[in-house]
Amino acid sequence: MKRNFRRHLEALSPLYEFAEEMLEAHDVAEGVRFPVHLAMEELFVNMVKYNPDISTDIQVDITLQANQLVRVSLVDDGGVEFDVTAARPVNIDAPLEDRIPGGLGIHLIQNLVDTLDYEYQDGRGEVIFTKGSGTDNV
Amino acid sequence: MFEIEMGSGGEVICRGRLDAAQCARAESFLDGLDGASTLDFNELDYISSAGLGILLKTQKRLAGSGAGLKIINVNNHIHDVFRYSGFHAIFDIHAKE
Repeated sequence: MKRNFRRHLEALSPLYEFAEEMLEAHDVAEGVRFPVHLAMEELFVNMVKYNPDISTDIQVDITLQANQLVRVSLVDDGGVEFDVTAARPVNIDAPLEDRIPGGLGIHLIQNLVDTLDYEYQDGRGEVIFTKGSGTDNV
Repeated sequence: MFEIEMGSGGEVICRGRLDAAQCARAESFLDGLDGASTLDFNELDYISSAGLGILLKTQKRLAGSGAGLKIINVNNHIHDVFRYSGFHAIFDIHAKE
């Protein structure tokens, strides 16, 4: 199921409803739905935040594969290159005084999804992730 | 939908989904807290990194006066997000029973 969303944080609610409708219809477990919503939001927000000067829609495609594996693609046409698979060390053991708000989004995605891929060519970036298993609650 | 309000017992009640679009409302409310405070997440279903940033900012501000946030009734999903973020070492977090 594919849909375009306005490049704005106000699109987060329609994006959630779009995904939830499909995940619920296919009886996807809550332990998979939560990280799917989280990863989608983090990726979408990055595409909005790092491309303030363009107005193209962001295309989101959600498919359900065998064994309840959820595959999500977000296409950012015209945005800057931003490889979400690149290592971005976050010291989660740092004391409070050394912690700086921000920077956890990509760290969470990389830890919560099963696979994460990124392609960028001729100004078109695409992130694809899958989630279908895991022993954590998220 | 996200709601935040002061409960009858002085705790801060959070409800719904705290995503990046709702952070301004949460931040505005939490900026008004002064001293040790309890956040009740019993009806909070979801939080993203944007919400984590607001919590961290508030905790750092309160720590300046020797106070901090206690977060209670945290659901399993949010609890794991906290764990992946290392929040258990810097917040007083209590899972939903």
